[in-house]
Amino acid sequence: MARTSLRPVAANEVSALQAALAAEHAAVYGYGVVGAYLSGTALTTATSDWVAHEVARDSLESMLRSAGRQPVAAAVAYRLPHRVHSAAGAMSLAVTLEDRVATAYLGVVAVTSPRIREFGARELLAAATRAASWRGRTVAFPGFPAGALSAARG
Amino acid sequence: MLGFRPETGVGLTGGFVAADRTRRAVLAAGAACLPILAVSGCKGVGALAAPPRPAPDVAILRAAIAAEEVMIARYDAVVRGSDGLAAALRPLRAEHRAHLAQLRSRLIVPPAAASRSAAASADRSAAASRSGGRSAAAAPASRSAAAAPALDGASGRGSGDAGSGSAASGEAGDVPAGRAEAISFLQGAERTAAAALLRKLPAVSPSLAQLMASVAASEATHVAALATAAGTG
Repeated sequence: MARTSLRPVAANEVSALQAALAAEHAAVYGYGVVGAYLSGTALTTATSDWVAHEVARDSLESMLRSAGRQPVAAAVAYRLPHRVHSAAGAMSLAVTLEDRVATAYLGVVAVTSPRIREFGARELLAAATRAASWRGRTVAFPGFPAGALSAARG
Repeated sequence: MLGFRPETGVGLTGGFVAADRTRRAVLAAGAACLPILAVSGCKGVGALAAPPRPAPDVAILRAAIAAEEVMIARYDAVVRGSDGLAAALRPLRAEHRAHLAQLRSRLIVPPAAASRSAAASADRSAAASRSGGRSAAAAPASRSAAAAPALDGASGRGSGDAGSGSAASGEAGDVPAGRAEAISFLQGAERTAAAALLRKLPAVSPSLAQLMASVAASEATHVAALATAAGTG
């Protein structure tokens, strides 16, 4: 896999990738809940997004291992940001998961290695695209917490 | 968790005091940095040790700002030409305006060229007095050279949102007449703009890279939103 050639060396690169990996672990867990409440095309989309997060998780683990680092492990369970009882709640959870992943990749974009920065930007774009699809609208600054930028839509 | 931290990493790319690290040059450069630090909100010894290097970021910022102005002009043109699309396009145009405002806010060059040159001459006299009035030229001169493109950009563009309208409207290009064609035109423009931002990521500071990557991601989501707009309304 091409991404394994991205060898993080600097400490800030490793910590940014570990944070992204932790967010991907949470997303993989969360999409398991999301999918349980969906059906039809929404379930198909959720399944596809779930796979995308598994692929990203594997890439991050591979990048960290190639740098001689131990990738952070997934937690046994995660506290969901809100209880999910319905399809609408599941889609809302998917939005939250994608927003958190996007924020984590924004941290990867801040590293100095151009190729890791590019990887982070690509994954940020993918997370923003999934988030917009679940949210039903776009946002001005994907990855930035709402209100972090003064001009951002609240 | 990951808040917006303008200062974080700005100094990581190194400083513009590279050539001559004598004590005198460092002192002179320190004096020269003060107005920039005041504008950018940097504080403390750490910021002085690794001052921001404005030139590459400023040139790329100017290009990104110009691109957003053209994009807004294109949306304006399509909205004017098609009542049916206006409601769907306004939120996307509003996001481009937010992009533009945020990009402009990152320009650490004061908008008025006059106050800029006044500040610069004040720097030089301050630097001259600190270095004993002898050769204050080294660091301030290199800084002036680095800041020159920024001066050009600031003088042409004015401050705030004033410059976005008429200046860029001529750059909207020939917006196609048909509804589907106009949507396709905007989709192409969004893709091009996002790709241009991503190409320049390696050259900019970490902080600006985050903003540019986020703007590019937003523009990429507009492509799908435009497809939805074409199907409804």
